[in-house]
Amino acid sequence: MEFLIKIVYILIFPGLLFSTVFGLWLAGIDRKVVARMQKRVGPPVLQPTYDFFKLLGKETIVPSSAARHTFLIAPYVGLVSLVVTALFIPIGGLQAFGGMADMVVILYLITIPSLAIIFGGSASASPFAGVGVSRSMVTIMAYELPLILVLLSVGRAAGGGLVTFSMEQVTLYQQLFGSFLLDWRLIPAALAMLLVIPCEVGAHPFDVGEAETEICEGPLVEYSGAPLAVFKLSHAIKMFIMTALFAALFLGGISTGMVWLDVVIALVICTAVTLVCMTLLHAITARLKVEQVFKFFWTVVSGLALVSLLLVWFVD
Amino acid sequence: MTYEIFKHFPVLAIMCYFLGAFIVTLAGKRRVLRNVVAGAVMLISLSLLLSLVVPVMVNGEIITYWMGNWEPVEGYAIGIAIEVDALSLFFGLLVAIAVALAGFYSFRYITQDDANGPFFTLFLMLSGGVMGIVLSGDLFNIYVMLEVMTFAAVGLTAFRTWNPNAREAAFKYLVVGSIGSTCVLLGTALVYGQCHTLNLAQISAMLPGNMNPTMIFAFAMLFTGFGCKSFMFPFHPIAADAHGAAPSSVSVLISGVFTKTGVYGIIRVSYFLFRTMGLSSMQTMLVFIGCLSMFVCVTMALNQHDFKRLLAFHSISQIGYILTALGLCSAIGIAGGLYHAINHTLFKGLLFLTAGAVLYATGTTYLDKLGGLARKMPQTAALFLVGAFSISGIPPFNGFASKWMIYQATFEKAAETGSIGYALVTVVCVVTSVLTLASFIKVGQSVFFGQLRPEYENVKETPLSMRIPMWIMAALCFLTGLFPDLMIKYLLGPATAAVLNTARYIDAAMGAGYAEATAYFDSYLAEPVLTFAGTWDPVSWLVLFVIIMCAVTLVSLAGKSGRGAVTLTDDAKHATFFGGEEAQYSHVASGDLFWGFKHNLRGYLGFMSRAHSGVTNDYVVWGVCAMAVITAYCFIFM
Repeated sequence: MEFLIKIVYILIFPGLLFSTVFGLWLAGIDRKVVARMQKRVGPPVLQPTYDFFKLLGKETIVPSSAARHTFLIAPYVGLVSLVVTALFIPIGGLQAFGGMADMVVILYLITIPSLAIIFGGSASASPFAGVGVSRSMVTIMAYELPLILVLLSVGRAAGGGLVTFSMEQVTLYQQLFGSFLLDWRLIPAALAMLLVIPCEVGAHPFDVGEAETEICEGPLVEYSGAPLAVFKLSHAIKMFIMTALFAALFLGGISTGMVWLDVVIALVICTAVTLVCMTLLHAITARLKVEQVFKFFWTVVSGLALVSLLLVWFVD
Repeated sequence: MTYEIFKHFPVLAIMCYFLGAFIVTLAGKRRVLRNVVAGAVMLISLSLLLSLVVPVMVNGEIITYWMGNWEPVEGYAIGIAIEVDALSLFFGLLVAIAVALAGFYSFRYITQDDANGPFFTLFLMLSGGVMGIVLSGDLFNIYVMLEVMTFAAVGLTAFRTWNPNAREAAFKYLVVGSIGSTCVLLGTALVYGQCHTLNLAQISAMLPGNMNPTMIFAFAMLFTGFGCKSFMFPFHPIAADAHGAAPSSVSVLISGVFTKTGVYGIIRVSYFLFRTMGLSSMQTMLVFIGCLSMFVCVTMALNQHDFKRLLAFHSISQIGYILTALGLCSAIGIAGGLYHAINHTLFKGLLFLTAGAVLYATGTTYLDKLGGLARKMPQTAALFLVGAFSISGIPPFNGFASKWMIYQATFEKAAETGSIGYALVTVVCVVTSVLTLASFIKVGQSVFFGQLRPEYENVKETPLSMRIPMWIMAALCFLTGLFPDLMIKYLLGPATAAVLNTARYIDAAMGAGYAEATAYFDSYLAEPVLTFAGTWDPVSWLVLFVIIMCAVTLVSLAGKSGRGAVTLTDDAKHATFFGGEEAQYSHVASGDLFWGFKHNLRGYLGFMSRAHSGVTNDYVVWGVCAMAVITAYCFIFM
């Protein structure tokens, strides 16, 4: 029985099946609402799902100058490690596999999908991909600094005098003492996190690495068929994971006593965070230049996170 | 005692290397005979040390061996001792493994050099010197071995005499390295003047009662000297030259093993002899130097255009992690630092060997002249990726496990001392880690991926005898990362306990009760407890990964059924996309990468490039300044 429940966690909820469906749905919502904000009708909400299945049926072209194995394996490694990460993030207090990976591990685990895109693109031997690889890496360098500052602030606040990296501890603390979003000291960190999410996901205005209009989607330029579908899916699941991480870090205190209701609330929060930090930003901004992204994250966003760290450190 | 026989093993392990060094010369030009002798020597030493794991690591014995049976007389050590506790054995194992793998790789690798006769003599001298340092229980003996090691390393750096860079690097190494040797010698002499003994155990029993300004000076000298051998900031530039110019298998030793003796020396000096690590000022100094080494070297690495120079700077950056962790003086910090030490030897060894494979196949390691080699050398590319993921700390490889422990150690230290500075150290560690990742993406894109240069159309995969050591290292990188619990139980835990338990070391050498009689040691410490701020379970991660990978594979196989086939032919459809233009050779690599980052930090990066002028005089000035600053700091804060 125990084993069956684990398998359900892994394959259905919140693992493979659910994160696929929910991620694609989030991507659809995102596109629809952006369109509405720009006074367009927009595609149906299920459009990313349709696209995914359409791509699966297409021919996979491997460029003759590509490093074939890396090119074909990279998308799957990225997708799978992303789904594994989903199992480690508490969703509405429900922890599929708690006590296996903490915040810092998650910080590293979510770079694996980005690496998959980078090495996949690198292996395609296209100069467009080369530029994209360079830019994607700069965005990773850009958001990693504020992200660790945010995590340390939360870890300090949840440690109660000590420090912790544990996600369970963060959830538990918030259930006892209220969500961190309501703690004024952590509001700058929450803002910083809201800006880190679109950068990590690669959404406007921080999508320099995959800029369609400049470098033809950078690392993805040579991809087609199933591997491209997998990359698109990873992108969608990443939206789900990053917003779920935000919910767990800053809104983990919501508890009704019923697990299913908590989960539903958490998913609503995920959607809301997506709308705020990805859809809204997408609709109102144009793409930044790569050096602007880097500068913005190492000054403004890191500054916000650092303020929070100082506040939780010195103000009781 | 049942362990009587093991007493002779450590000294035999050292002697094997030295004997081997001279016997291989007798083999002359007979390559097979030479390889057999060298291989046998390396394997014997490795197995001797492995057989010590059970008594020393598991049962907690400390092996003391008095050379010529000159045992202490009336509480004074008059002979030379070989003393092996868990810490010594930990470093000894690391040395033996790296030497064996690098040695087997060299058999084929150095056939490209014309005059490869003296190679194994120097190689085994270097190995013997390093082994002598980590197993010795005598301060002057350590100095002698340090010199043996340094001169062998200088000779090996200049091994490719046709290469002017190699000769220049060897010269720099000789000059700056001699600052370190001089410091160690001076420190040793002062300590001898004060304590009238050179035995490590006896010195550490006597020094706490004899601390005076001379001894503070001696500490500063020994610290700087061993720091120089570990190439910590600001001694790092010579490492870049030396690693870059030496043959790759020697770089494995210089980076993976030679620098570790410096770390080992710092541990022995600070934790054992002078026991200064309890002072917060000493902790701050070590952590500060560690952070500087880490950050300065990683940013220098990002700027490099040569594969091996880039790796060399990363070596020092990783040494920075180790020093930072050791400077925390907490059980988890020490364990994390030692863990990183062994991981660094493995992944950096692997990376240097892949660099050697690239050099062997193409004749260059210059990043701007390579590209697309993954198509011709798929195994080397895969091995490179394992090494790159390990060093950048990508789970589940070993670099992550140790870095994760270091992050916790620094962050817990911050909570414990209430000082936010240590939390910023955690931030520096994480940022360094991501910059490391960036520079390995640069190598990957420049060397293994991207477009294949026309001149490398006929490049072949490296021979099997060179690939096997690389595969072993890659497997070790994976396994040591996958089972951190076992590592802690059998290697790191005992070694950490040994670092913190000076009294046991003293008693083992000088007789039971000696340490307590000096009245500076309360009693034996309990086994150190590692407290973790978080959790990481690599095995479960791997199981989940495999399950989901199987599910995804099944789904995609089920969905295939004829559609979505992978096609691979050489026509226009499969050519690289150039926006409709005609295809041409165009490789985005090396200096083209990370423009946004370089642009924003251009002031800092430009300053750093100018400061690393390559002039020996400048580096000597840096070294002397470091010595002066460390000495002044010790006098003010100790």
